[in-house]
Amino acid sequence: MSYLSISNVSKVFGGVVAVEDFNLEVEKGEFISFLGPSGCGKTTTLRMVAGFELPTSGEVLLDDENITYKSPNERNVGMVFQSYALFPNMTVAQNIGFGLQVRKAPADEIKRTVDEMLGLIHLEKHAEKYPYQLSGGQQQRVALARALAIHPRVLLLDEPLSALDAKIRVELRQEIRRIQQKMGITTIYVTHDQEEALSLSDRIVVMSQGRMEQVGAPSEIYNHPTTEFVASFVGQLNLLPVREVDLQNGTCKLNGQLVRFDHSEPRQISDKPRLAIRPEEFQFGQAGDRNVVLGRVEVVMFLGAVVRLRVRIGEALVSVDLFNERNMALPRVGDDVTVNFPAHACWIM
Amino acid sequence: MVEAMRRNTFWSWFWMAVGVLYFILPLVATFIFSLRAKKGVLSFLAYERIFQDANFWETFTFSLTVGFVTILVSLVLVVPTAYWIRLRLPHLRGMIEFVTMMPFVIPAIVLVFGLIRVFSGAPFFLTNTFVGTNALLVAAYAVLALPYMFRSVDAGLGAIDVRSLTEAAQSLGAGWPTILFRVIFPNLRVAILSGAFLTLATVIGEFTIASFLVGIKAFGPYMSLIGQNKTYEASSLTIISFLLTWAFMGLIQLFNRGKSDGTLAGAH
Repeated sequence: MSYLSISNVSKVFGGVVAVEDFNLEVEKGEFISFLGPSGCGKTTTLRMVAGFELPTSGEVLLDDENITYKSPNERNVGMVFQSYALFPNMTVAQNIGFGLQVRKAPADEIKRTVDEMLGLIHLEKHAEKYPYQLSGGQQQRVALARALAIHPRVLLLDEPLSALDAKIRVELRQEIRRIQQKMGITTIYVTHDQEEALSLSDRIVVMSQGRMEQVGAPSEIYNHPTTEFVASFVGQLNLLPVREVDLQNGTCKLNGQLVRFDHSEPRQISDKPRLAIRPEEFQFGQAGDRNVVLGRVEVVMFLGAVVRLRVRIGEALVSVDLFNERNMALPRVGDDVTVNFPAHACWIM
Repeated sequence: MVEAMRRNTFWSWFWMAVGVLYFILPLVATFIFSLRAKKGVLSFLAYERIFQDANFWETFTFSLTVGFVTILVSLVLVVPTAYWIRLRLPHLRGMIEFVTMMPFVIPAIVLVFGLIRVFSGAPFFLTNTFVGTNALLVAAYAVLALPYMFRSVDAGLGAIDVRSLTEAAQSLGAGWPTILFRVIFPNLRVAILSGAFLTLATVIGEFTIASFLVGIKAFGPYMSLIGQNKTYEASSLTIISFLLTWAFMGLIQLFNRGKSDGTLAGAH
């Protein structure tokens, strides 16, 4: 039996299905991310674990205890909100100690825990400040410490970094992971940012329209997406129309040229088959036994570490990502180019 | 362009001066008149007489007490209601706002006759007893104060993220009383004080309801009686009640200024 079990959970709001038949088993100490676009049901699912929403059907079990209908203040589940939700009338120390005060913990224990938490988030010097005197990143660290101070059975984070700027987001997500691993706390993290989910999680649950699309380790989700939605939502994906698909031998025709693809995994193929391939799998020039197609450069975008090109191959406009090299000679717009990619890196959808 | 701006500035000052004179002149005239109680000289004799009048202090203390009890009753009624509407019943907010505006529409005389009619016979005999009448007066004032109190509290609730704060407190183990008294009330301090001072200012000078329910015991009817019988003292009472109202307004401003603007300090 897993530590946290979400079984057959559905949620309907006035006839609109927000979450449909959600099933997930989470091990103790695991870091799980719910990833998906706005309105996919990830926050609703999280709120059902927290107790802020009651499931329409299904149940939530935590450490073998059915908590489906338990009120939020009896679950011992820590929550971090996108808006920080720090109590404006309390100092940083009072915010962190609030949960322990509510539990009527002895004063010395509260002080010890608050000091420990302040050390954990490196804000020892800010204990007596009020939330409005802190930056967004500092406020979110306090919110994290406040949620951890009660030693929750599960830590829930609802898009905690969305309101912060890019640099702080990267720093803080590393800090969240460090603290989570140090405390070994079971964590569910809701985000629409694939980079966040990929970099933080032990496993990712990709959601769309209230349903689970795929559950797996970050590399599995990225390299072996099982649905078109996952493939296109997690990372970039080129979809090129192909003809004469031979699933037995793993071949098809792309712009009149024979192309080989990975046919080791059984996949559902649509009426209009398309060849799926990530932008970083392309290279320029002829190369051994790789697939080779001809194209024309239409756009060149220099993005720093990566150079993104848009190349016309037949009727499709594909993205090609090249790692920047200092003395690289970039193709120019209008150049005819030979593009190659390996058979194992593309599949038919 | 510059000429047009200069002309605009002149008219701005002109209209401001007209406005100030419109409001200040009657007050200044009343104040000067109140100083003429002693023939031929300007003195504070009318004020001395008022402050030496036992009825002044009795009625003022009575109305002040009624005012404080009204504030307490209003808070108990309004804060949880406004909070719950923000949290769970936002679709009812328009309707509740309409209801809270009713005291502006229904004249006080209609309200007090209605109250007397309903609460002076079976099964409620409130007007037959001292406590009952005072309770009725407080209840009537709580209704009268509803627009001020509800709007102040609702605006205060709108300035904080009620839902997230509530859920954050809940996830930390807090029950409803803890959430209300340790999270919501402290963050509504300024809003509650604004509503409270407005309520107090309204109750202190209220005449219609007080005169029908408790008569001369309240400050409003006392002021009216003085106005009918004593010329200079009436003017001095007017000035005193204006000063009281301004003092309450000043206190609201003082507390508002104390409130943080929420600016974030420093970098990460």
